[in-house]
Amino acid sequence: MLIVELVVKGLVYGCMYAMMAVGLTLVYGLLRILHIAHAGVFALGAFITVVVANYTGSLLLGFLLATAVSALAGIAIYRFAYQPLLGHSAFVPMIVSIGIFIVLQEAFRMIFGAYGIAFDNNPYYTTTVDLGGIHLNYVEIAMVIAATVLLMGFGLFASLTRAGIGWRATVTDPQMATSFGVDPIRVRYLNFFFGSALAGIAGGLVGLLNNYVEPTMGGLVSYKALAIIVLGGLGSVRGTLIASLVLGVVESFGAIYLADVFDRDAIGFLFLILVLMVRPQGLLGRG
Amino acid sequence: MSAYVASLVSVIGINMILALSLNIITGFCGQVSLGHAAFYGVGAYAAAYLSKLGVSLPLTLLAGAAMAGTIGVIVGLTSLRVRHDFLAVTTMGIGFVFLGFVRKQRWLGGELGISGIPDSGLGPVGYALFVACAAAAVVVFSLWLKQSWMGFTFDAVADDEDAARTVGVNTSAYKLTAFGIGTAIAGFAGGLYIYFARIILPDTFDFVTSIAILTMVVVGGTGSVWGVAVAAIAMTLLPEVSRAASDYRLLIFGAMLIVVMRFSPGGLAGLARLFLARRRMTP
Amino acid sequence: MSTLAHIEDLKLSFGGVAAADGLSFAVTAGEFLAVIGPNGAGKTTALRMIAGVLRPDSGRVFFGDRDVTALPAHARVRLGLGFTHQIVRPFYSFSTIENVMIAAGHRLTESPWRALFGRSRRAARERAAAILERIGLADQLDKSPRALPLGQRKRLEVARAIALDPKLLLLDEPLAGLSSAEAAAMADLVRALPGDGIAVVLVEHNLGEVLRVADRIVVLDGGRVLAEGAPVDVMARDDVRKAYMG
Repeated sequence: MLIVELVVKGLVYGCMYAMMAVGLTLVYGLLRILHIAHAGVFALGAFITVVVANYTGSLLLGFLLATAVSALAGIAIYRFAYQPLLGHSAFVPMIVSIGIFIVLQEAFRMIFGAYGIAFDNNPYYTTTVDLGGIHLNYVEIAMVIAATVLLMGFGLFASLTRAGIGWRATVTDPQMATSFGVDPIRVRYLNFFFGSALAGIAGGLVGLLNNYVEPTMGGLVSYKALAIIVLGGLGSVRGTLIASLVLGVVESFGAIYLADVFDRDAIGFLFLILVLMVRPQGLLGRG
Repeated sequence: MSAYVASLVSVIGINMILALSLNIITGFCGQVSLGHAAFYGVGAYAAAYLSKLGVSLPLTLLAGAAMAGTIGVIVGLTSLRVRHDFLAVTTMGIGFVFLGFVRKQRWLGGELGISGIPDSGLGPVGYALFVACAAAAVVVFSLWLKQSWMGFTFDAVADDEDAARTVGVNTSAYKLTAFGIGTAIAGFAGGLYIYFARIILPDTFDFVTSIAILTMVVVGGTGSVWGVAVAAIAMTLLPEVSRAASDYRLLIFGAMLIVVMRFSPGGLAGLARLFLARRRMTP
Repeated sequence: MSTLAHIEDLKLSFGGVAAADGLSFAVTAGEFLAVIGPNGAGKTTALRMIAGVLRPDSGRVFFGDRDVTALPAHARVRLGLGFTHQIVRPFYSFSTIENVMIAAGHRLTESPWRALFGRSRRAARERAAAILERIGLADQLDKSPRALPLGQRKRLEVARAIALDPKLLLLDEPLAGLSSAEAAAMADLVRALPGDGIAVVLVEHNLGEVLRVADRIVVLDGGRVLAEGAPVDVMARDDVRKAYMG
């Protein structure tokens, strides 16, 4: 029973990681930039969710606004930080990204205090559902549903709509796509829009899960998401999804069995490093 | 020299050594490293543990450097196998693995770290001078390295690894050497730190510290010895002279990273070069 | 005439397509060998396998009697091999002369520790300047490669390879992208190299110049050797003409 429970919990966390990591891998696939500032967008989404929910009493409104603002924030980061620096080596935008992340985190600390904010009315994280002996609370279930629906939705969009196909073409072969009339700038905006929206929603959900939102919450999730996209093969969405779930489960087990040796958060990176030693291209990357 | 000034000199010296050591890896050899604080930490922990066993001062520093350098080479071996883009995340991972490990080890003090580190025996002023000499030595070594053929080859490896191989450069050996030297010096800085602080905590060696060191390198001008040294001094002094700067230390670091990379990726050194070039053009 | 290097039955496939399907030929010391063939014949692939930039799926590469198939590219350079890329790759952050200096100082760059204690760049600088003068780039010494037109960048690439004191020089399409005057000049330049004791293996599309300067040619088609011998003889063969025409 413990094994099954660990696996299920691991998958739940994996869904959350997937929502973060997909945004990162989309940016990398398109621009070869490690979008570390993504962590800030995650925290931004969380803060907006909790502030709006507490102020208006409507969690739904909180989530909607969080999604919108996060998406716009992501686009703004692209427009003002990355676009001007695309001519330089990848090191430069990555450093700017780190800087943005730090500034955002500190801004949150200054505005909301180091201890963060709790939800005024959050019955969801304590209400559990019994699924054959395994107990998941409403938020955990929501995470799985949200991740599945949103990612499947994006998958359909990418295969069935003109905009989606244009986006896929740009990721695979930018020059060819441009010659077919696809606007690379619009594709980039779409990229950041979708990835950042996902991060914002993930932030709100994690805030709900823990019942509070604090300034440094973006950091750890983001670092793990970075490890995930490397594991999944940088730029591969499918790889990222699989790696997210794998990491969630590995962490779940590692936190129990390696508890005396390593911190829970180190386990993900340990796993990454070990995998890279054996397979330098990541779990699913091409050699 | 008052005790306050002495402690300031010590901190500046240690930061300078840290920044210069990362400069060798990232600035000279072009290998990005987001986990440098881990090697600082390895050196500190090794030196602290030995010092409490009674090992004397110069030996603890050497042990710290050796331990950090060895692990650095092992990490470097990882870097050889992975793609360039992976290196940032892998080195970040090393930082977290180190921290996660050390926090859980009872024999290393766990979350509480190691306390009761013996006195250096030199007194605060004496120790400050010792650290200052060490920092000066690292500056001299960095300059020597930069002007040697190793520096020239590092430049080639940083520029284009495939082309470097075409001219017979064993790029793997050079990258490992850069990692080994840079991490050993960081470990040495860790050893210096323990006699200054007398107590070490795991959180001193976290990701934020890695970024702080990277900021000094970036602001100074990745690859420039003088730029990085000056940046280390300035960025250590700033929180001391300005209370506001101290409260908003991290915010300022982040802002500096953004501003420098956005407007002058060559850092202070880049600006200096521009300024000097303009002056040469006007008669 | 001693065999300087030879390849034995090299095979390499990329995604199901055989770029090399049993390639074998030899280079003797001091000769000028041209490797030609239609597009996709495997010429550049062959060169890159000799250089060590590509690993074959099977087959062997020899320098003299020594099997170097498992040796990485930089180690082959140390055994006396020079290599230029089809798309030039100078060190863009170096000046022209520095590009050649890093190669001229190859004894010092052999091991990091030797490099650490090597300080003087004067000898390397003098040698580099001499090579660049011979090659016709004496006025560009301190210029960035970005400031050089393609023809000069290609010369720089050759200069850098020569500075390695190679016994064998592999040139991958050195004439590509050059005007006919530049191509003729480059062909003359590389033609003179065997006179300095450097054997040359050249992959080229520009048949006019190649036939003028080569001692011997090897024709590849579909990853295999179709013919080899003196230029006049080989080009007279029907199967060679057919391979080129269609």
